[in-house]
Amino acid sequence: MPTTADLSLQLTLKSRQISEFFPLLQRGIWLPATTGCSVIKLLSNQLGIAEDYVADRITTLFLDGKAIDDAAASFVKDGSTLALSSAMPGLVGSTMRRGGHLAAMRGEITYHQTKVLTVGAGKVKIKLFNMLMKEVGPLLLERGFIISGAELVTLLTEGEASFQDGCVSVSVNDRPYSCDELGGKLLTILSPQQTILLKIIWKD
Amino acid sequence: MDKILRINMGASGGPSQAVEKAGEYTALGGRATTSMIVAKEVPPDCHPLGAENKLVIAPGMLSGTAAAMSGRISVGCKSPLTGGIKESNAGGQAAQVMARLGYAAIILEGKPATDDLYKIHIDKDKVTISVDNSLKLMDNYPLVEKLREEYGDKVAYMTIGSAGERKMAAASIACSDPELRPSRHCGRGGVGAVMGAKQVKAIIFDDNGCKNRQPKDPEKYKAANRAYVEGIRKHAVSGEGLPAYGTNILTNVLNEAGGYPTNNFKTGFFEGGTKISGEAQAELEIKRGGLATHGCHRGCVIQCSGIYNDKDGKFLTKQPEYETVWSHGGHCGIDDLDTIAMLDFLDDNIGVDTIEMGVAVGVAMDGGVIEFGDCEGAIRLVRDEVGKGTPLGRILGGGAELTGKAFAVERVPVVKGQALPAYDPRTVQGIGVTYATSTMGADHTAGYAVATNILKVGGDVDPLKPEGQVDLSRNLQIATTAIDATGMCLFIAFPILDQPETFDALLDLLGSFYGIEMTGDDVVALGKKVLTLEREFNKKAGFGAEDDRLPRFFKTEPLAPHNLTFAVKDEELDELYNWS
Ligand code: SF4
Repeated sequence: MPTTADLSLQLTLKSRQISEFFPLLQRGIWLPATTGCSVIKLLSNQLGIAEDYVADRITTLFLDGKAIDDAAASFVKDGSTLALSSAMPGLVGSTMRRGGHLAAMRGEITYHQTKVLTVGAGKVKIKLFNMLMKEVGPLLLERGFIISGAELVTLLTEGEASFQDGCVSVSVNDRPYSCDELGGKLLTILSPQQTILLKIIWKD
Repeated sequence: MDKILRINMGASGGPSQAVEKAGEYTALGGRATTSMIVAKEVPPDCHPLGAENKLVIAPGMLSGTAAAMSGRISVGCKSPLTGGIKESNAGGQAAQVMARLGYAAIILEGKPATDDLYKIHIDKDKVTISVDNSLKLMDNYPLVEKLREEYGDKVAYMTIGSAGERKMAAASIACSDPELRPSRHCGRGGVGAVMGAKQVKAIIFDDNGCKNRQPKDPEKYKAANRAYVEGIRKHAVSGEGLPAYGTNILTNVLNEAGGYPTNNFKTGFFEGGTKISGEAQAELEIKRGGLATHGCHRGCVIQCSGIYNDKDGKFLTKQPEYETVWSHGGHCGIDDLDTIAMLDFLDDNIGVDTIEMGVAVGVAMDGGVIEFGDCEGAIRLVRDEVGKGTPLGRILGGGAELTGKAFAVERVPVVKGQALPAYDPRTVQGIGVTYATSTMGADHTAGYAVATNILKVGGDVDPLKPEGQVDLSRNLQIATTAIDATGMCLFIAFPILDQPETFDALLDLLGSFYGIEMTGDDVVALGKKVLTLEREFNKKAGFGAEDDRLPRFFKTEPLAPHNLTFAVKDEELDELYNWS
């Protein structure tokens, strides 16, 4: 997935449409970002998530499949995947928790920083689970994320009726389209290989 | 709960009954009661389906009271699946009703000389044991429907389906939920087969005319219950995550960690994980007019369960739990929630453990019986083979180990004959220690996340030392056994783990009810006592250190994506039961 996009699409949607993005948010969305920084810097300084929220609410984090105990000492590189979750039940849920008492039980998949990373423009894939989909999802989608034409077609066709219903306005490369064209004409101008910078603006 | 009902199904002239004083079991409950009775009264080397085995049913210490989360019921016996001691517990209404009737335990012993099938009706005045051969080979849902015509809706039912009657080693005992659906199961270890061997098809608890059990110190009790409920409600897991998504909230996280056993433990990541996650499940349930939040018994404040409707909006099954979604889902390469829900219903109806059944189907897939990912095939195996008791169905219903042998599968994920649940021990090595050493066979609830740091079980543990895994697992197993003994739902573990004041409230709740002072040390002592008895039973039943092991493939086959093998040494595992 490149860091720049072939075209830019802006959708203004009613805020209840957020649930249409839940499957996508679980699979992960690519965000343009400055990489080579710590997870906490990425989340707070770049993505605008309050540090307190990160500390209290995002209690389970995985960086490239490894459980994170210290978000300030874990570093994202270009192409990293960062998965975020609130607290989990069960023994294993507890084990995965950041800095939890049982962290030793998953020592083999705990993230350890090995080398210093260079800072630069890149992209990270953010996955959101459970409560965080609703709480953090709108913010990330509003920042804009990169999606392939194929994925966008799937998103729009799967939730077509709902998108039509909750659509306020559409623009492609700053050119306005009608909401009726969301599932039809718009899809025909997308090719599966294209990359699109998709921004969602939320209207109550 | 000051009495024990003993029913000898093998008495000459037909089943006999006797009521005894509860004596040493008066202020106990759940797993403490079942394991103590089994350890004392059942010959460890007996045949699990023979007359000498006993089926012990016990409510929790606070069942039948106004205490929140107190409605779990425990069933104990020698397990036909593992050959060792077994305690299996479930929600539903049975614990509350049985406790209000005043029984600390019901013991079914002996074996009828004829092939008659019995039902047992218990109310405040009498116990009626009657032959009802019209119930033969009925499955749970139609069975409870039929029983409701006779006994009505103000009772609680414990029943077995056709699998229990056929004495399949994966057979469960169903407990009816508040809507009288037989959807809550004492699933693990084949307890349903033992009930089937006693030829008891149904127990009907009728507490008409009974009142809630009353605490010795009502004021203290009320205040403690309030603090305890507040603690549960304010915690992120018990107050938010579990009610919103149920236990299946774990699918995404386990998958992300590379610890989600897929296609019979071949890899730790399932491509279709997000399609069957708790998040996807909750969305679908709400969309179809079901419920994403529902309690398995009255008095549950967490409500981790739900109602799963089919495409037409009709009830299909209760919300399948994480372990079920995994066993019938990722383990079998199936990423379709409707298929998984149908399998959950079939399991409940036929009366088999969803974990054992799903793992057995996945092992059968590995053995070439059907392909991984074959939704229709999986349904056919459970509905038409297990449900009809065909030779293939009896192999599958005999559990994962038997299925592995029948189809010459090398990778058979069992410990002490019981299927591993939904967490790969190569990724989370600590849970592998619990799977290997639990007295129950591979069991994810055996070492739950209980307040070891608050309880200080066995002193402070340095989790960074290599032996920390074993120390942690030991402490978790002791503390979990203690919680099981109270009969409380294990999901209270989280508020208790994180909030010392909630743990204190639980101790006050127990103490004020029985008029005693309870400390964390008492809880630990109880946990150790029960585990020691269980371990002794297993030793006498023929288990040795070599049984406290994971299957070898966990040591030799690296699991993608992290390419890990299980690295805890055998000598370390052998240290688990070293406590003073
Ligand atoms: S939290 Fe879940 S398992 Fe526990 S009592 Fe409530 S519904 Fe039953």
